[in-house]
Amino acid sequence: MKVIKNGVHPHRGMLTLLIILGILGVVGLASGLLFESSILKGQPIAQNPPVGTTGVFTPAHSSVSLAVRHFFGWRPAAVQPIAFNHKPHLEQAQMECLYCHAGALTGPRATIPGVNSCMTCHNTIAKDKPAVQQIAEYFNRGEEIPWQRVYGWNDEAHLRFNHAPHLAASVSCGKCHGDVGSMADAKRIIDHSMNFCVTCHKEKKASIDCVTCHF
Amino acid sequence: MDRRNFLKVGALTGASATLTSCGNPEHQMIRFIPEEEIQGGIAIWKPSVCPLCATGCGMLVRVVDGEAEVIRNGKKGLIQMGLARKLEGNPAHPISQGKLCARGQAAIQVTYHPDRIIHPLKRNGVRGSGPFQEITWDEAITILLSQIDGLAAAGSQNALAFLTKPMRGQRQTLISRFMQSYGAPPPMNFDPFGDQVLRRANAHSFGHEQLPTFDIAQSRYVISFGADFLGTWNAAVPQSAGYGEMRQGKPGHRGKFVQVEARMSQTGANADEWVPVNPGTEGVLALGMAHVIVNLKLRPGNLAALAEYTPAEVAKRTGVKTERIERLAREFAENSPAIAIIGGTPLAHTNGMFSALAVNTLNTLSGSMGKPGGISFMPQPGKDAPPGTSFNKFVTEQLASPESPVKALLLHEANPVYGSPSAWRVREALSKIPFIASFGSFIDETSILADLVLPDHSFLESWVDDVPESGAGIAVASVAPPAMRPIHQTRAMPDVLLDVSHRLAKPLQQPLPWKTYEEMLKDSFESISPGADTWNNAIANGGVWGKTGEPGVRPLVPLFPRYSEPEFDGEGVQFPFHFLPYKSQSFLDGSLAHLPWLQELPDVLSTAMWSSWVEVHTETARGLGLVQGDVVEISSTQGKIQAPVLLSPGIAPNVIAMPMGQGHETFTRFASGRGANPISILAPMAEPETGALAWAATRVRISKVDAASKLILFAGGMREHPDDHR
Amino acid sequence: MPHKWGMAVDLDRCTGCEACVVACHSENNIPTVGETEAARGRAMHWIRIERYWEGEFPEVQVKFRPVLCQQCDEAPCEPVCPTYASSHSEDGLNSQIYNRCIGTRYCANACGYNVRFFNFFTPSWDKPLHLQLNPDVSVREGGVMEKCTFCIQRINAGKVSAGIEQRPLLDGEIQPACVQSCTANALVFGDLADPDSTVSKLSKSPRGTKLLEELGTKPKVTYLQRGSWDDSQKR
Repeated sequence: MKVIKNGVHPHRGMLTLLIILGILGVVGLASGLLFESSILKGQPIAQNPPVGTTGVFTPAHSSVSLAVRHFFGWRPAAVQPIAFNHKPHLEQAQMECLYCHAGALTGPRATIPGVNSCMTCHNTIAKDKPAVQQIAEYFNRGEEIPWQRVYGWNDEAHLRFNHAPHLAASVSCGKCHGDVGSMADAKRIIDHSMNFCVTCHKEKKASIDCVTCHF
Repeated sequence: MDRRNFLKVGALTGASATLTSCGNPEHQMIRFIPEEEIQGGIAIWKPSVCPLCATGCGMLVRVVDGEAEVIRNGKKGLIQMGLARKLEGNPAHPISQGKLCARGQAAIQVTYHPDRIIHPLKRNGVRGSGPFQEITWDEAITILLSQIDGLAAAGSQNALAFLTKPMRGQRQTLISRFMQSYGAPPPMNFDPFGDQVLRRANAHSFGHEQLPTFDIAQSRYVISFGADFLGTWNAAVPQSAGYGEMRQGKPGHRGKFVQVEARMSQTGANADEWVPVNPGTEGVLALGMAHVIVNLKLRPGNLAALAEYTPAEVAKRTGVKTERIERLAREFAENSPAIAIIGGTPLAHTNGMFSALAVNTLNTLSGSMGKPGGISFMPQPGKDAPPGTSFNKFVTEQLASPESPVKALLLHEANPVYGSPSAWRVREALSKIPFIASFGSFIDETSILADLVLPDHSFLESWVDDVPESGAGIAVASVAPPAMRPIHQTRAMPDVLLDVSHRLAKPLQQPLPWKTYEEMLKDSFESISPGADTWNNAIANGGVWGKTGEPGVRPLVPLFPRYSEPEFDGEGVQFPFHFLPYKSQSFLDGSLAHLPWLQELPDVLSTAMWSSWVEVHTETARGLGLVQGDVVEISSTQGKIQAPVLLSPGIAPNVIAMPMGQGHETFTRFASGRGANPISILAPMAEPETGALAWAATRVRISKVDAASKLILFAGGMREHPDDHR
Repeated sequence: MPHKWGMAVDLDRCTGCEACVVACHSENNIPTVGETEAARGRAMHWIRIERYWEGEFPEVQVKFRPVLCQQCDEAPCEPVCPTYASSHSEDGLNSQIYNRCIGTRYCANACGYNVRFFNFFTPSWDKPLHLQLNPDVSVREGGVMEKCTFCIQRINAGKVSAGIEQRPLLDGEIQPACVQSCTANALVFGDLADPDSTVSKLSKSPRGTKLLEELGTKPKVTYLQRGSWDDSQKR
């Protein structure tokens, strides 16, 4: 049993917090009911069939956990439908990043190659490998392989990254993506935090103005 | 809070994070292999032509790849394809000169409209009430063929009818040739707000049955009689470009602009001088000016023919003071080159022909016909199109006989059930027809009567071509390939027509030798100037254009028009107001009401959005006990509608005006059941020579009704402060 | 040398056609709020045409004025933002950084030009209208302020192109959507830091005025007054 010392409750901090939160909650509930909050009533204020915006308050995220994850920039690791291995492509086949991710040179998106690109080589090369056979199956069904992006940001970051000026400034692919060529399974090994980008921008005397990237 | 509790909360959050996987159903969809070469994230610009009005602006379409939901082999999935994202004017195109109007900018919403018809439909219930059922293209063509073959077998080829908005270029050629070869009457054009009167007047005065081209940029004086030439009339985009140059494009000189009209239009708002006139007297003012010019010997002319148009007499008829008439006349003559424009409302009176000829007289007097800074006519290739079947005659004949004379009707880009006065009884006339097929992309008041729908591509998904009628001083033939692949199960109407023509049980007398519309276009362009380069350059640039040897204006003896008094429907006391429906900035004649950007676009003079309204002079309203937003019933001899009142300082006290475009019963989620349609209550008055609808000749009365006001304004009203009119 | 983006609006050329208004919606993924929300004053027109009536019938006149974010050098919306979401860019623009915005709407309150708009709801586009969205521009979620950016996406793209091609930007190379679509060529955009640019010259025109200049906001949009018939103005 806790001893009350000097007339002060040992858990006063926690209790104060709980009381304040409780009052806020009650006030919120009451004013919501009083002022016809749509969430509590469960129906839209707008009477007409909604055209344009829904007229119903829709949070930007469908759940609190999603909002928290997006706020911290947590994204699940990519799980690929086919066990694609960069290593043999770059080491044995002597390919370069831009062979498949050609968009990086001229535009904002590096792009992930379509199944047609894979088949240009793999309709003859390594046809015995199970992974290559899986590629052929997708191709024969007329379907693209549903690759999952390894790097990227959530919409809420409002980031409009453009590869082209980075390549024009001779930033190597590995600087931001790590040595993908040596990976059997491409993983996100570099955290694209804002700090990561701004540090390099400061070094290279590139713009660190907010609106250069966020628009 | 201590550590233990903090960890508990953290764990809860973390657990739910891992539990909630990416449940986005879109990520579960199949992705089909793209059917075109994709450059991820890079924009490509493709030429096209805007179809929303008769101007024919050449445009460039910004295409960037994206994922669209499509059906392939019966499966739904996503496909990466080039998608149109933004429309711009084509800087090289002589009509658009790199610009588009508000409506052209909104045209992209036609392609992506949520209520677009995405596959062929067959009627599955009582006609006119929906519902429709989805069928395949094979079924649809089979049904259409059986109808057309059936008529041919019974020897009733002349019972086939084609109803369309006026078309130009190879679409017009194709439709005409199909009908003619088959043995059916020429297609009917539906365009009651299309200035037929002015075309005929120009044929009389200048030998060109055509809308004129104005070189406003080089003009020093423009007087416009009712023409909303900076907004909705004729070739508004090049006219606006020219207007900008006339004002501030020539250092040392700024042209003057005078607008003569009964109701302040968007164009009139830009005038240096705004001159209200009594409705139907615009031509009288023009001849009054001509009288002064000849009388003062500022130009040579036949004063005897203009004898009755003295300033005093003209002042009496028009309501414009004599000093003003004399001053305007002097200014017009002394500031050369000067242009007089007439369009819109003045032509829509029963004496529209007189007014048009009067203004033509003024222009001929000024000496600016066929000269820089004046008026000319765009060279038009080929022979004149054969006259179409009269729509009014068709309706009359349909109503006259109990058995429908027309047995099969093909509908294309026309909505006469909405766009005609109720007095014409168009719905009744059409409802009798045993078989109606529509090529349209939307269900509207007319296409809802169809038994079969064969949805056309949107213009961005089509081969487009056009021969503009006005707007540039040189010959122009626009052509462009599709800017993007179709996103729905639609087919190009010309391709369907060609396909049908090749599969008829009884082949056409003169078969159409092309398999696709692309082939037909290529053929026509190569016949203009042979060589593969012509075609390749044309489709890369959006068309061909250049000077031709043809002179712009054929000189004719100027016709001094015989005066004709305007007639109105509705007696003066019972129906005290002139009723002026006008083509609205957003919707024109109502055909664009389905585009959400245009519904939300604030009308520039009133800032009204999503609304219908009627403009009433401030004092008139006060006298009737009306405040802004009060709903009134507007009654003509033909019917009544309701609309909220908008107080206007820019309208004559005995005139009320209402924009066209709202009041659709059926026209997608954005336009259905919204507002009122002023066209419906118009009296069936006509201009005698052309038979054109005299849509400004109706008189009405208004009375307050107890109804909820649905007037939505972006700003406070027609004055700066909303409380001005309370 | 840093740029200083500015605009000139020639009120003598503007016809009130509103092509700029729709072009802006099309370029910048601006939501259509619908009838109900528009009735509550929540329509979002980053550029709008104001009209001022003068006189009484029959001597009545209308004057149009396109109003958009003035990108003020002393922007009243900047000091009031608690999260620095409304900030000044190195090119002189008032930038709206969506991911910083927490929706206090104090900036809209402070703006004397009424050019800031709030996303009261997360916008939705009835499919397939969403296919029209511009991939080069953010789609703003509910709770975020937005306003005219002088088409920052076009400015940035222009700078990137010029950088890759190692050449300076040309005057008139970058055109915001409104400027590009203006049928009467009333809108001019360019670099006020370049004395030879068209916009610099127009900003010094004797016809030039600034909107609500007396508030001390130092707006970067110069309005060229409408002429009268007796004018013989040089451009």
